[in-house]
Amino acid sequence: MLNIIVCYKWVLDEQDIKVNPERLDLDTSRAKYKISDYDKNALEEAVLLAEKYGGKVSALTFGPEGAKQSLKDALSRGPERAFIVKDNLALTADAFVTANVLAAAIRRIGEYDLILCGEGAADTYAQQVGPRLAALLGIPGITFVNSIGLDSGQLLATRKLKSCTQETAAPLPALVTVLPEINQPRIPSLKQVLGAAKKPVTEISLASLELAAEDLVPRVRLKALKGYAMNRKHIIFGGAAPAEAVAKLVASLGKEGVI
Amino acid sequence: MGAIWVYSEDIAITRQLLALGRSLAEKARPVIAVAINGSDASGLIESGADKVLAIQGHNPQPESYADAIADLAAKEAPDMIFVGATLQGKDLAAKVAARLKAGLVSEAIAVRLADGGLETERLMYGGMAVATETVTLPAIVTIPPQAYEPLPPEAGKSGEVIAVNAATDDRVTVKAVHTFQREGGDITAADVIVCIGRGFAKREDIKIAEELAAALNGEVGCTRGVAEDYHWLPDSRYIGLSGQKVKPSLYLSLGVSGQVQHVAGIRDAKLIVAVNTDENAPIFAAADYGIVGDLYEVAPLLTEALQKAAAPGKIAG
Repeated sequence: MLNIIVCYKWVLDEQDIKVNPERLDLDTSRAKYKISDYDKNALEEAVLLAEKYGGKVSALTFGPEGAKQSLKDALSRGPERAFIVKDNLALTADAFVTANVLAAAIRRIGEYDLILCGEGAADTYAQQVGPRLAALLGIPGITFVNSIGLDSGQLLATRKLKSCTQETAAPLPALVTVLPEINQPRIPSLKQVLGAAKKPVTEISLASLELAAEDLVPRVRLKALKGYAMNRKHIIFGGAAPAEAVAKLVASLGKEGVI
Repeated sequence: MGAIWVYSEDIAITRQLLALGRSLAEKARPVIAVAINGSDASGLIESGADKVLAIQGHNPQPESYADAIADLAAKEAPDMIFVGATLQGKDLAAKVAARLKAGLVSEAIAVRLADGGLETERLMYGGMAVATETVTLPAIVTIPPQAYEPLPPEAGKSGEVIAVNAATDDRVTVKAVHTFQREGGDITAADVIVCIGRGFAKREDIKIAEELAAALNGEVGCTRGVAEDYHWLPDSRYIGLSGQKVKPSLYLSLGVSGQVQHVAGIRDAKLIVAVNTDENAPIFAAADYGIVGDLYEVAPLLTEALQKAAAPGKIAG
């Protein structure tokens, strides 16, 4: 039986963030939070592996107060139970702090065979926490994986790099970061959503992890965040007659000198 | 004053990082190139390194040297380590950072010295924002390939080459490697790109985009979903934050919604043109010109119009 822990992050939905074109500040007032897209692939893969090989899936997140809202969504995706380290330190945590907290929480959860993470977080896309966690836990860490299997208690993982794929093998326990192409995350059914409310959630307090103060001090701190605005012309041709729109576009492209 | 280390498994990137290292090195700060099983140590000295740490081991995977590099760094105490932001470089850097309890900035687009540490810039929220961050020393930063011009080699420059025999982490074994076949031209060098999105209903329809690309003398690219979920085009053709960043004179998208991660890859296009049925598709906010319409109608008309425009003798007047 496989004991799988999936780490996920509760992030602002970047598709809803608007950039003020003059001041270049970010308007997040209309942005909702979501489970980081890449982590949905990790959750899905854990559940598929548990279905195939038999096992138990636990979801784990470290987030601020609001991250509690993520638990139902996470659990409706198939894990049996969830753990949350809820602390506003998460708002300023860098990957160093986050990995320290998650590693301590994983040790607290106890036995595991496999840890899954997404390839990166949808907000920072720093791609650090997975490999950092593997190093902290002293287990093999395999990144950028698009296929996972098991053979006689050994992990088989295919990594996709820029110019090749690598078929790798490693003993368990191990950590894998998965690429989005590994699966299509499910859209939870109403039954799964309702069932999620009954699944156990354990809150782990940061203090109870007894991390050294130094391990909670971010090495990387945000100084400024500026929206990236592109100056584009925004000339849109529409209407019922595509031929007319095409003629106008061709005339414009001619004037721009690109055709 | 602690040294600056630079490393990439790609020696061309190591040379680029040496240029960055030299630009940040004050007088007393040596720049040291770290090479794993490399053969051209003297070339690295000529490209700007004061010293080369030539690590030797039996494992061909760079990531298997994370502990060895962390141990060396713990002993030698460099202030900064710059690592080429290849996939394997990012993996290695994160493992070394964890072992050193160091901060790591991923894929910095700018690096400068500030207040006894480093100040960096990197993209956030799928490329929608630029984050300026400060990092305490020792700091590790991964740098995208081609961010810096290598220094002209200084022939005959001398420097120390220190051979280090390293133990490797052999728990992960590579059983087979399958190298991708290169298909078509290099999209990052294309002057015109027609980009395919999820608005295409089936694989055969790609020919609509190919015909338009032919009329424009351009290449066909796609979104991440088209490459990775549909597998219609190879990964080398997908454009975006985690894929190719392109800079054509003309980028023309068909049925691309324009997620921020995709738009991050087309930022440097001179002209962005979008065709999409949904007038609220975010791609229009990033476009110079757009047509709200069905690509299946618009693209063939556009191909025809361009062919007519290009055909000799048909120009009015």
